[in-house]
Amino acid sequence: MRLRPLIMLAAASLLVSCGSSDAQKQRVLYSMDTYMTFTAYGENADKGLSAAADVISELDGKWSAENENSEINVVNIHPGQAVKVSTDTASLTAFAKDMYIITDGALDISLQSVVKEWGFTSLEHHIPDDARLASLLKNTGADRIEIKDDSVTIPEGMTIGLGSVAKGAAGDIAAEELKRQGVESAILDLGGNIRTVGVKPDGSEWKVGIRDPFGDGIFGVLLVGETNIVTSGGYERYFELDGKRYWHILDPETGRPAESGIVSATAVGAEGRYCDALSTSMFVMGKDKAIEFWRSRRDFDLILVTDSREVLISEPLKESFFLQDGCDWSVTVIE
Amino acid sequence: MDTKRLTRMALLTSFALIIFVIELQIPPFLPLPGFKLGLANIVTVYAVYVLRPADCALIVIARILLGTIIAGNPMALAMSLSGGLFCLIGMLLLSKVIDRRHIWVCSILGAALHNLGQTAAASAVMQTSAVFSYLPFLIVAGCAAGLFTGIMAQAAVNRLTRK
Amino acid sequence: MIRNQRFWVAVAAFVFLSAVAASIILYFSRSESTVRIIQDGKVVTAFELEGHPDEELVFEYEGRKNIVEIKDGRLRMRSADCPDKLCERSGWCGKGSLPLICLPNRLVIEFTASDTDAVAR
Repeated sequence: MRLRPLIMLAAASLLVSCGSSDAQKQRVLYSMDTYMTFTAYGENADKGLSAAADVISELDGKWSAENENSEINVVNIHPGQAVKVSTDTASLTAFAKDMYIITDGALDISLQSVVKEWGFTSLEHHIPDDARLASLLKNTGADRIEIKDDSVTIPEGMTIGLGSVAKGAAGDIAAEELKRQGVESAILDLGGNIRTVGVKPDGSEWKVGIRDPFGDGIFGVLLVGETNIVTSGGYERYFELDGKRYWHILDPETGRPAESGIVSATAVGAEGRYCDALSTSMFVMGKDKAIEFWRSRRDFDLILVTDSREVLISEPLKESFFLQDGCDWSVTVIE
Repeated sequence: MDTKRLTRMALLTSFALIIFVIELQIPPFLPLPGFKLGLANIVTVYAVYVLRPADCALIVIARILLGTIIAGNPMALAMSLSGGLFCLIGMLLLSKVIDRRHIWVCSILGAALHNLGQTAAASAVMQTSAVFSYLPFLIVAGCAAGLFTGIMAQAAVNRLTRK
Repeated sequence: MIRNQRFWVAVAAFVFLSAVAASIILYFSRSESTVRIIQDGKVVTAFELEGHPDEELVFEYEGRKNIVEIKDGRLRMRSADCPDKLCERSGWCGKGSLPLICLPNRLVIEFTASDTDAVAR
């Protein structure tokens, strides 16, 4: 047994020196208010990662809520006016508006003022009262955003934020950039949003774990090729007051943390911003509506975990999902 | 088979089974897969030095099968059988050359063989050789346990029988 | 020779000691090279230490900063804005090390064997 690792090490070093096709390059970047780890393989990896990092930086500059010069913030300080933005921003905003309509209001990018009220952004946490929330909610409703010819107009009193779709969109754009640079195999972790390019250098599928909403580890693994995997859960950003937990995913109808019975919602599919939007939407919708939504569209896949530790998975993912050893949750396949 | 022989084997098997069941209550205090005190082997070691090989085999197999049914863990069967038989065959051979004053030595080596057999079965079942990385740790613990059971068995053999 | 009892005592001793030696060697040559950095209970980032470019990562907690330095496939806590500075004194950590912890700033840097390529969270 002691010999085995030595032999494997020798063989591995031979492989690595013979061809750099399997060499792994990694880059850790801080952007969009989170840490991202990009991993690429092949001879164009370095080039690709640089280009991808630049692209992310650029998008962060346009979409960041923290950066007061970002296109989004410029829109926010000029309500009632048609503000010219870049095509990326206009397209994403229009997409978010469509999603508001498609999800029956579950995804609403105009909740920024409410999110701010709770203190999720400033870290000065407090619980707003019903009256305050009601008055803030009057100025929400993403369907009231106008997008026309690369300019965005928001009504008075509204503040928008692209947080629920930005990373998903950025993942797709970064992946395209990597491919443009000749990278055929990569996996991007954008603060928990996973985007893959191709398959692993040896032809095998990526093993992507999904965070256990009740603990530190993972509850299952997905074996996938090129895809997006986005998970939304209350455990990502929250604060506790008097023993109760308040998370940052709000129900657009009440302005309070969404308590739909879902603790973790994962969307898997070809389009990053779509999956990003859906994971948040399904968290808000709850089990029944999410399943109904999926059945009516079937253009993505889902994995939901309820507060009673039930896992719901859409049929096409059945063969690719593996529950962790030792995890005894029930798994229900949704047809 | 005469009644005396049969009764003797049945008694020894039950005795081993009882020790096994009691031992099940003790939680494994080392984080090693497959770690057991193996106290029921006191009976096996005793049998190796006192009974015919065929009788020993029957006792061991019976105890393992019944023990697996009682413990309710059929997955462990392959590993237990593999370990148990490896150990038994080894000890039977060693008992030809190791005398009654060194039964503890035979038991230690038997324990090591048990771990080897167990691990080999595990690696075949799980189709990975990664389990072998636990073998050194298992053998260290196994030898210690083997020494203890060996001393007990030696005392039993020397006091309960005359050569 | 095999009828000599001492021979067998020697064999048993040999088996036991070899196992002890092997256990010690294995225990200290663990090669978990995936770094997981957890702040305030949340996994902030994870990456492979081997072949990772030399760089510095900055983590902030309640206005206090931890600077982690990665160089030549090892990492250390270069500076920590905290009362005890225990983490700074841990020196360079390579693969398979015990976790590097800055308790006041809720920062944990652990070395794990990666069984997944990424974790969606």
